[in-house]
Amino acid sequence: MITAIGGLLVGLLLGAFCPIIIPVAYSKLFSVALLACLDSVFGGYRSVLEDKFDNTIFISGFFTNALLAAFLVYVGDHLSIDLYYVALLTFGFRIFQNLAIIRRYFLKKH
Amino acid sequence: MHRFKKGHISIALVCAVLGFMIALQFRISMDQKASLPYQRLEELSSRLLDAERERDKLQEKIAALEAAVENGEAKNPAGHRAAENMRERAGLVAMEGPGVIVTIDDSKIKSKAGDNQNLYIIHDDDLLRVINELRAAGAEVISINGQRLTASSEIRCAGPTLSVNNVRSAPPYEIHAIGDAATLENSLKMRGGVMETLAVWGIQLEIQTSENVEVPAYKGTTQFQYAKPVGGGSQ
Repeated sequence: MITAIGGLLVGLLLGAFCPIIIPVAYSKLFSVALLACLDSVFGGYRSVLEDKFDNTIFISGFFTNALLAAFLVYVGDHLSIDLYYVALLTFGFRIFQNLAIIRRYFLKKH
Repeated sequence: MHRFKKGHISIALVCAVLGFMIALQFRISMDQKASLPYQRLEELSSRLLDAERERDKLQEKIAALEAAVENGEAKNPAGHRAAENMRERAGLVAMEGPGVIVTIDDSKIKSKAGDNQNLYIIHDDDLLRVINELRAAGAEVISINGQRLTASSEIRCAGPTLSVNNVRSAPPYEIHAIGDAATLENSLKMRGGVMETLAVWGIQLEIQTSENVEVPAYKGTTQFQYAKPVGGGSQ
């Protein structure tokens, strides 16, 4: 847990002071990728609570989810199928579901 | 929590990536909100709203003043009639009567490669020719897309739109003209006339005669800024 939070803090600091700018054209893809990452992390935390955590699944899921989401939105953009909103809905939905399950675990524990 | 410890480093790495992305996204969205176009958009939209509110207020004022004028003129029938006549001639009164409604739209024909695209869309000179023909045929009052043509009205291309009385409108253009319906119709349809010329480029011109064509009043300003009457009476 501590390593996770430490990593998060390091990443936040890096991102805040790193002079990288994502071009406006790709900001959509980036936000979808970010949402996919958030979903993976919440899903990972949930599986820790369920005692089903698998390191490989977690890490591969984290990166492939993000990249695939961004890629699909990119392809959809070029085929004029707006998958952006679909991705937002799906990942948003899953994040809230994971949060609900995590909350229930905490309630059961205490 | 035992299994959790196995992949400490990898989880820290993943979290670092996540944190990095969150921070980056946060910064970018802050930048975007602070960027000039966004601010300008908000500023312009609020100014547009203000202007529209002011316009509505002024229109109410006009209506009130006109009502007051009519009240005053009602007391003096001869003067009232003369003033009314003047206003009708100046285009300040909405009119109705028999006439034609001409609808003109851009060409549906796809321009051939190498052809000048401009030939297939309506220009100010096309409309001017139609208007000219209608006037020659004795049209008494004319409006284009609800803009009354007065002595000082312009008909001019403004990008892809057309500006009449400094109000822009897009095709299709609807010309209302009051006059002898049959003469007006024939003037446009005559052989070698406007309709035939425009049909070559596929520009759609539709004439509809009607017993009751409505032409709205001129809504712009009627005050002269530069011109002054020459002294020595009106005659």
